[in-house]
Amino acid sequence: VIGAGNPEPHPGQPSLARRAAQRLGRLPQTDQLPGPFRRSFWRSPVRGPWLTSVLGLVLLGGIAVMFVTGLLSYAAYNPDLSPVNDETPGKGLLGFYLFSWPTHPVWLYRLNQGVHVTLGLVLVPILLAKLWSVLPKLFEWPPVRNLAHALERLSLFLLVGGAVFEFATGIMNIQQWYVFPGSFYTLHFYGAWVFVAGFVVHVGLKAPTVVRALRSRGLLRELRTDTAHTRPEPPDAGHLVSPAPAAPTISRRGVLAFAGAGSLLVLALSAGQSLGGPLRRTALLAPHGQDIGGGPGGFQINVTAAEGGIKATQTGASWRLTLDHAGPAGGTPVSLGRAELLAMPQHTAHLPINCVEGWSSGSQAWTGVRLRDLARLAGTGHPASVLVESLQRRGTFRLAVLSATQIMDPDSLLALRVNGTDLSPDHGYPARVIVPAAPGVHNTKWVASLTFRS
Amino acid sequence: MSRRLRWYGADPLHLLTLLASFALAGYVAVQFVGSRPLGVAVWFLGAVVGHDLLLMPLYSLADRSVMAAIRHRVPGLPSIPWINYVRVPAALSALLLLLWLPLILRLTASYHASTTLSPNPYLWHWLAVTGALFLLSAVALARRLRKSRSSAPPECPAVVPDDADSAHESGNDSAHENGNSGSLGRYDRPGRDGRHLPHDAGHRPEDPV
Repeated sequence: VIGAGNPEPHPGQPSLARRAAQRLGRLPQTDQLPGPFRRSFWRSPVRGPWLTSVLGLVLLGGIAVMFVTGLLSYAAYNPDLSPVNDETPGKGLLGFYLFSWPTHPVWLYRLNQGVHVTLGLVLVPILLAKLWSVLPKLFEWPPVRNLAHALERLSLFLLVGGAVFEFATGIMNIQQWYVFPGSFYTLHFYGAWVFVAGFVVHVGLKAPTVVRALRSRGLLRELRTDTAHTRPEPPDAGHLVSPAPAAPTISRRGVLAFAGAGSLLVLALSAGQSLGGPLRRTALLAPHGQDIGGGPGGFQINVTAAEGGIKATQTGASWRLTLDHAGPAGGTPVSLGRAELLAMPQHTAHLPINCVEGWSSGSQAWTGVRLRDLARLAGTGHPASVLVESLQRRGTFRLAVLSATQIMDPDSLLALRVNGTDLSPDHGYPARVIVPAAPGVHNTKWVASLTFRS
Repeated sequence: MSRRLRWYGADPLHLLTLLASFALAGYVAVQFVGSRPLGVAVWFLGAVVGHDLLLMPLYSLADRSVMAAIRHRVPGLPSIPWINYVRVPAALSALLLLLWLPLILRLTASYHASTTLSPNPYLWHWLAVTGALFLLSAVALARRLRKSRSSAPPECPAVVPDDADSAHESGNDSAHENGNSGSLGRYDRPGRDGRHLPHDAGHRPEDPV
């Protein structure tokens, strides 16, 4: 809604734009305007600064959490570690805060992504209600009062365009409907910063109005007021309140309950895909709300062997893992078959796969060789990083670089078995990486080689 | 506002805040420039137009049309805000459709190939949830009607025909045109040919200055 800009009207001093327009005789008076440009066109008796402020305050908290979890999710890919991990090479100053992503607590990424995605979905009805509450501002007249007003409306383009863009790309991505113009990571990352540029300035400029509006009516009193007793808020400087309100069909508490019911419904129908276990099936409308079937391999998959272009001939008896140590200290590569890997000391870790899309596989028992043991075998006890390469022919994440922290964690494995049986082809047979608290796509499947650097 | 810049229209801090915001957005745009900037600009514009000039007018129109259609065709509407018992389940169902359109309409061709999951249940899930929402709403409406009947005053001073419904409560004619006002400010009186009683004046929206 372009035009929530609200510089105080000051009748004694007509703006430059208005004076110019009056001279030209082009701008009609507001009561002669057509349709939505006429203030009395807007009839809702519940629109007003108090309602908008309450919805805005909820969004303020929600979007702050979305922004922080989004930044953390970006950091979880360790984009600074290697160009292989970096989908946004032009990030420049926007990556100022990056840090080496930890492996503990093991639920860190699961919680972060579950909150980011589920909260994003839950905020949609609040966002829609908020935008509805300020719709008349889109048609305010004159469209531009002065330079301040023009700039503020321009910033609202960043705010509203950015908000809808971020929610739309996120919601499409979790359903793998890739119709947006480019890589999701790139678009969602830069889009977030543009949105935040508009968001911060909007919060800053509106803060006094919000404080005034929230003080004007008590929340508890509003929550006790039914439709029959609902009266329009007093006329406000921002012209949100209708000058010709219709009789109410819903109270302000009704609007809040309406939006809140939307949020709760979305939450109830989607959170199960992140919680996993028996609750997964409560996620009736979420991409990973279905159980995949029983058995040791009965947990969520996002790329199958067929989709990854993995052929049975590549993963049969001829499969060899190449261990290499890059750099001047490196020796000859070591090549290991699956039987040799199974003969090494085996370790079991209980870890979930957690996707950037918000779903989690729930905890599974992975058994395999520790990555740090493989590093030692490759010739380094102090690896700085490892490049993991998959047999996959295509896909952005056929390559991943893991950090020293991730390699040295005792639960970081090259897993050969899961839940007591060999990995299934779709879960990465003959071997896959599993690292605590890493994004799902960094748990590379169908591993072909590990190249350590010290 | 004593430090308001006349040529600008607000105080200098307003200008500085906006310039900082545009500087950040400009920096992002410059850093991003490699990745199809035109497509992204079109998406930003499309996001605003799609929401503000398509989605919102459409749902507003739908809301008013339903309200007008029911008001004109159904005699003896109850005095409670019955529209919410249509509006809320319909809007919640539409919200779910908006969020999960690709899943419900199976727009993601590779969904089964990627996840091994069936793409089929989502349409049925959505329809089932929609049905449940309308059912719950109908039950809530029935309970509300029973309650409002039992609490209606036993003695009524006057009976007015339906078509005079909102004249007493809308301070201006347009409130009636809007179709919002008719169902309020009256008691429902069953057993009297669907006629209603005028409520007291307390229901009239305060006249704004």
